[in-house]
Amino acid sequence: MKILKEAKKRYDEIAIPEELSQIVESTIRRQEEKQEVYQSNAVNAESEKDTVNEAGKENRINETEKGKVIHMKRQGRVLKRTLAAAAGIFAVFTLGLNVNTAFAKTMYEIPIIGTLAQVLTIYSYEDETEDLKISVEIPSIETISGEVGDMDAVNKEIYEYCEQYAEEAVERAKEYREAFLATGGTEEEWEKHNIQIRVWYEIKSQTENYLSFIVQGRENWNSAGNSTRYYNIDIKTGGQITLEELLGENYVQIANESILHQIEERKENGEVFWTPEEGGFAGISEQTQFYINEMGNPVIVFDKYEIAPGADGQIEFEIKA
Amino acid sequence: MKQELYEKLVTHIVENQNQFYRIAFSYAGNKEDALDIVQNAICKALENYEMIRNEKAIRTWFYRILVNESMLLLKQHKKEMSCGEQEWLLEVPYFEKAYEAEGDAFDQINQLEEDVQSIIKLRFFEELSLKEIAEIMDLNLNTVKAKLYRGLKTLKQRVKEGA
Repeated sequence: MKILKEAKKRYDEIAIPEELSQIVESTIRRQEEKQEVYQSNAVNAESEKDTVNEAGKENRINETEKGKVIHMKRQGRVLKRTLAAAAGIFAVFTLGLNVNTAFAKTMYEIPIIGTLAQVLTIYSYEDETEDLKISVEIPSIETISGEVGDMDAVNKEIYEYCEQYAEEAVERAKEYREAFLATGGTEEEWEKHNIQIRVWYEIKSQTENYLSFIVQGRENWNSAGNSTRYYNIDIKTGGQITLEELLGENYVQIANESILHQIEERKENGEVFWTPEEGGFAGISEQTQFYINEMGNPVIVFDKYEIAPGADGQIEFEIKA
Repeated sequence: MKQELYEKLVTHIVENQNQFYRIAFSYAGNKEDALDIVQNAICKALENYEMIRNEKAIRTWFYRILVNESMLLLKQHKKEMSCGEQEWLLEVPYFEKAYEAEGDAFDQINQLEEDVQSIIKLRFFEELSLKEIAEIMDLNLNTVKAKLYRGLKTLKQRVKEGA
């Protein structure tokens, strides 16, 4: 039933509030504390009773065994509670990437980082018409607390970029359709094109100081329409981080040397790069695109065709500082 | 053994919290109430975890609590409202009319009978099996089937009328 599919879509798009994981975590913690108080009271009461009754050995064994069980229980929870307590301190910060990931997983696998901001989907939609399918996921930087820069400008920029891309891609699809039909293509043939437009983002890394992510727009019929934007946001200022900030004053030289060196290495492995005369790598500039990887190193990215044949796709160079 | 069950329950809650929130929201229709429902359900579950038969039953058992908590909140609201101002009551028919005409299937589901809406939500939103739903709702399988069928029929009709 189609109406249920639509309803399910609306259901799946119910936004998860930031507070949820905190509320869940604190409810569980409070409940555990309540139970422990209850249990230790019970043990105390029992041991008092035992003394009064001048209980025999049997009772004592019982009691110590109970004590042991509870002790073991406690041990099990000590670790958890330490984590939970640590999480408590950072609860405001560690909402994690996208929040969706199960709290437990992010909690136990990723070391706790005092993140003050995060990237979230603020707006997403999918649409399917006779002519095309479009899916758009727009990210936005949400600051959680503390001394952080103003993200309004960058958020606005991201939003406009995504919407503009989607709009233009739909336009391009229309033009394509008209051109296709005008040059003798039939409606049936057109339908087989299965035109798709997608705008989405990918988080590369995040720490307490920065967020690095890319926003991409793709059309499945036209790679020239592809577009990627790199965002390396300084959380304290809300501005973009530059290569100079990451690599120092001599960043151009450092990056160029590293890239040339890596090109040589890759050539030895049989990869093809264009020479500078053919329009290949001729040094980086201020416009050079990069993201920051998990290691905190800048990764410089060249678009398809930019420095090598298109078959290699995008080419990346990690610059180790 | 019991301790293990408790830990499993905690893991289950933590891992599926988003799903629980969505269910709660589908009943409550607003964030605050949905968060309340989730919180109450977690408290109840942790307090009564000894009642879970076995590990495998955790999933359906928790859904059951969650659905019950959602229903409870809705009932409380209805009560509060009917005790509230008379003026508000006069406005109801107008409000509901507009709401119904505009609503898509998602909104229409909430206009169905309580157990029917729960069955539809669990079946289509959470994608549970009819058997699981029967367990959660404490109904027998044939009743669930009948209610589901009837619910879908009504839903289809209403959405058509609305469109």
